[in-house]
Amino acid sequence: MSMKSKLLRMKNHLQLDDATETSLVSKVVKIDKSTLEESFEELGFEPFYFDGERSYRKRLIYPYESAKDKETLRVMGEMRSLWEQEGLSDHPLSFKNRKLDQLLFFDTETTGLSTGAGNVIFLIGYARLREEGIEVTQHLLENPSNEAAFLSGFLEDFSEDDYLISYNGKSFDWPQVKSRHAFIRKELPKLPSFGHIDLLHCARRLWKHELPSCRLAIVEEYKLNMKRIDDIPGSMAPILYFEYLHEKDPHHLAGIIKHNDQDVRSLVYLYQEICMRLFQWKDKPTSPMEHYYIADWFEKLSEYKWAEIHYKLAIETMNKPFSQGYFRLGKLTKKLGDKEGARSYFIEALNQHSLPSLEVWIELAKLAEHEEKNVYKAYNYAKSGYSQWKKQTNMHSVSLKTAKHITDLNKRLNRLEKKLEIKEGGYESGENGGLL
Amino acid sequence: MFGKKTLEQLVAELRNDKQVTYWHEIPEEEAKTASMPTEIDSKIIHALKQRKIDNLYTHQKSAYTSVMRGENVVAVTPTASGKTLCYNLPVLQKHMNNPSSRALYIFPTKALAQDQKAELNEIIDEMEVEMNSYTYDGDTPASIRQVVRKAGHVVITNPDMLHAAILPHHTKWISLFENLETVVVDELHTYRGVFGSHVANVIRRLKRICAYYGSKPTFICTSATIANPKELSSELIGEHVQLIDNNGAPKGKKNFVFYNPPIVHKQLNIRKNSTKVVNEIASKFLKEKIQTIVFARSRVRVEIILSHLQELVKHEINKQSIRGYRGGYLPKQRREIERSLRSGDTIGVVSTNALELGVDIGQLQVCVMNGYPGSIASSWQQAGRAGRRQDESLVIMVATSSPLDQYLFQHPEFFFGGSPETARINKNNLIILVDHLKCAAYELPFKRGETFDGHEVEEILEYLTEERVLYENNQRWYWMNAAFPAHNISLRSAAQENVVIIDQSVREKHVVIGEMDTFSAMTLLHDEAIYLHEGTQYQVEYLDWDEKKAFVREVDVEYFTDANLAVNLKVLEIDKKRPMGNHEIQYGDVMVTAMATIFKKIKLETFDNIGSGPIHLPEQELHSNGIAVTFAEEVFEGKNDDHVEQVLMGLAHVLQHVSCVHVMCDQKDLHAVPEVKAIHSQRPTVFLYDRYPGGIGLSECLFDQIEEILQDALAYVSKCPCSDGCPSCVGIGGSDAGQQVKKWVVNLLNESVGGKNSGMLN
Repeated sequence: MSMKSKLLRMKNHLQLDDATETSLVSKVVKIDKSTLEESFEELGFEPFYFDGERSYRKRLIYPYESAKDKETLRVMGEMRSLWEQEGLSDHPLSFKNRKLDQLLFFDTETTGLSTGAGNVIFLIGYARLREEGIEVTQHLLENPSNEAAFLSGFLEDFSEDDYLISYNGKSFDWPQVKSRHAFIRKELPKLPSFGHIDLLHCARRLWKHELPSCRLAIVEEYKLNMKRIDDIPGSMAPILYFEYLHEKDPHHLAGIIKHNDQDVRSLVYLYQEICMRLFQWKDKPTSPMEHYYIADWFEKLSEYKWAEIHYKLAIETMNKPFSQGYFRLGKLTKKLGDKEGARSYFIEALNQHSLPSLEVWIELAKLAEHEEKNVYKAYNYAKSGYSQWKKQTNMHSVSLKTAKHITDLNKRLNRLEKKLEIKEGGYESGENGGLL
Repeated sequence: MFGKKTLEQLVAELRNDKQVTYWHEIPEEEAKTASMPTEIDSKIIHALKQRKIDNLYTHQKSAYTSVMRGENVVAVTPTASGKTLCYNLPVLQKHMNNPSSRALYIFPTKALAQDQKAELNEIIDEMEVEMNSYTYDGDTPASIRQVVRKAGHVVITNPDMLHAAILPHHTKWISLFENLETVVVDELHTYRGVFGSHVANVIRRLKRICAYYGSKPTFICTSATIANPKELSSELIGEHVQLIDNNGAPKGKKNFVFYNPPIVHKQLNIRKNSTKVVNEIASKFLKEKIQTIVFARSRVRVEIILSHLQELVKHEINKQSIRGYRGGYLPKQRREIERSLRSGDTIGVVSTNALELGVDIGQLQVCVMNGYPGSIASSWQQAGRAGRRQDESLVIMVATSSPLDQYLFQHPEFFFGGSPETARINKNNLIILVDHLKCAAYELPFKRGETFDGHEVEEILEYLTEERVLYENNQRWYWMNAAFPAHNISLRSAAQENVVIIDQSVREKHVVIGEMDTFSAMTLLHDEAIYLHEGTQYQVEYLDWDEKKAFVREVDVEYFTDANLAVNLKVLEIDKKRPMGNHEIQYGDVMVTAMATIFKKIKLETFDNIGSGPIHLPEQELHSNGIAVTFAEEVFEGKNDDHVEQVLMGLAHVLQHVSCVHVMCDQKDLHAVPEVKAIHSQRPTVFLYDRYPGGIGLSECLFDQIEEILQDALAYVSKCPCSDGCPSCVGIGGSDAGQQVKKWVVNLLNESVGGKNSGMLN
């Protein structure tokens, strides 16, 4: 039996993805090389050569025309000096002392979503802030055998001092570039290690709780007020590239090229949006919860001064009770050494909510016991926290965190009770002693 | 009383036991040693001296010498013969010669990998050199994975990790692949059948990646005793392999005893429950504080035997001195049990085959097996647990009533003699091959003219291109698909897609309790089926065929269900055939279609039919290889179709079991189907086919050996002590003609092997 008929017979046993069996196979149009080049030119791509291999490249300048663009340039310039002056050069958003045109707002499109050796990058795009406008460069892989030319075009276009700004690039795009580079590492220069800012991580800090997801399209819609029209989602990229390869028609890629171009320019605006919320909130309407999560982020980075500012802004701008805000500000104030200030924030946290977090009670009990040395008061705080929980139990199932607080409260109560007994016992025995 | 009995006294008593059907004595052997090769680095010598190793056993030295000459080797080594040094010594010496050299160790399980890492690291510590050995498996924390990739001199892993995590990400492992000098494949004999065929392809991929990075590693395999270690290893790694079998480790005298429990029901040939017998035997030794290991076939059986033994010997020894050991115990607990066995604090251990592989528990004095473990290799592995280097030891195999056990007990020469069994793989099984070609293309594009480790694959690559999985450009095939192929391919499942069994007895707490291949699921997991799992009854509430999930709930009912499976076998092409007396034997491609039709509810005690229902499941197709034993119609003259069917069913029953022993495969890998009038020949036929799409080479092997198999089947059925057929031989015909099925099968077999040319079955 021929291999072919065996294969056909076994077809049901072979795991072949039905999705790939599109009906388009029949209408393969053969286009010769020159028309392929022409089609790429129609899309704005120019061929270039490396070691006899061909790749395509497109460069486009979007002049700074709108007020938004001019604003962008101003903010970016101010940010650059801020990173140095404020001693924030280790901040996740800092691009240190790089010039603005050394920033590379970067994104790739690939043939799959996994990160293994068979996943190929077919489109690399990046935006740079040039004097005359935002310059977008895109490299397109004509076919998988021209990968060296494709990557070399990208590699020779930037220097070691450039700084990458991406969206999820730390765990996806860049490792993928490294993997592809490994295949042709002998033909190409070494891949430098760049500074890298991943805006996905930053966006998650601010908006994880607010947005349905932190996908770039969602963030654009809700935070940049940009609604994409006729956008081809990135998830379509593999299928479109396969279509292009099979039909040799670059126009299949038009949508994904546009999508990538928009992505890299969005990153410019997104970077600015996030920075302004952090440092120039007067010019950028920032919601109380954004201030709160920014504060939380600064606190985690041990930038307490900025954290304090944002907690206070969150409380000030919030137009309803905000127990959690006061609580966190109290914790921070305590960390900074101001016990009395902390106490008043905790009290406020109590006042702002009928059922405040159990942690508030615990914190107040701690302060009462250790700072005010008032065991009785401490005992009462702990007791109140405990009975509040008793009341609450009907409403909530106990989370791990709550369980921890309950154990804490229990231990605290026991210890405080003992302390009180000793005190009271001492008092009584003293009295008894007096009587006897 | 009489005081303590020694092992020798108990052995003497056993010799008089009339249930002992066979006694095999293996004489003791002196150690055969060889001097340490002169070039071995003094640091290694020093470290070995710390462990009281001054000389090498002969096989260790042979292995070392061959490997250093660049030859691939397979070392066949019984338990406790120092096999780890066969590979650790050359790997350590290669490291001393070239500190950037790397080695990859492949173990079939994670537990073994942990053991080996510990042992290797002890030596390395004593050598005081900068050498890192790490395990890389599902438990390796993400934080240290990068260190392992970049700096692991020895990376210890398993085939599944190599397949799904290392090879598809080879660009992260460049320094390993560029410097890979040695690949160790331990427990080679476990790589057989479907699993072995998959692993052989993973190794093809590994070699392809190595070649890409410019390395050509030497393979060191170790194997338990099987008939064809050299053939299996060269098939598995696709290279010429040097056999190392000059075992030089000393051995004490060993007694290997076959113990067949007494018959308690003559007509049905039912024997005393083997578990009870095992308990009685094991407790005799445990009471005298003789270190004993009991092997049981399932996890549940382990727990049952364990609790009985603890009860039986509670007056003599501490309950804690008898332990269980099986999968499902936590690694920490296992390590603790292993330690206490080595130290002698634990006197008895009851285990599944988990202890068959090379976990170090020291050597015990007595080994009791509850039933034949299913293969000769396993039996010897288990037997190897008893036998210290100097003292006498005893191995007792207790037979169950299963046909396989009873067959083996009739043929001890089959077990002890030069066995015809071989471990086989079929790495060119089309399904498996295509799966791995996809993975290989994902890892590296194929060039036109390139083979897959010598195997022509262009036609398949072209096919995959047509299916739009690959893309051809400039004489190369590229992976052009959004999927990650290794994720959909499991090395260990026999059928590609198994049905997962989910217990929903406890609301909101559904648990997966097992899985089953789709073919079996049709008759065992259909809606309303009663499914038995570890002794508990479950009813299938809903079988989601599309999602391959069966939802079951625990029940307590007095019936079981029995489904009818209409199996249709079509011969697609006959590749080979030859006459066999008046009959004919054929080998070729077959298509099996199976459809579950109805099920019956049968009362447990009376076997009354108490109800039935339809099964609505789509027909299943399986393309595979098979053989057809086609009989001349004359032999059945005077028999009606019903009788012919009875005979063929009986024959199929016995052939399936005898065949499994011959080709050394799991019971479920091979299936027998009788047909009164086979479509392709219009003659009475018994088919035997591989139960895996595309076949795994079992049937072809049956084709070559069919005369012997029929001969053995005949001898077996004739010797079966039952009067009219029993589950151990031809099965229970059950119907009116039942009384004669056994006789007819014997006659038919006799006729086939040319013994009696009676022509008729009467």
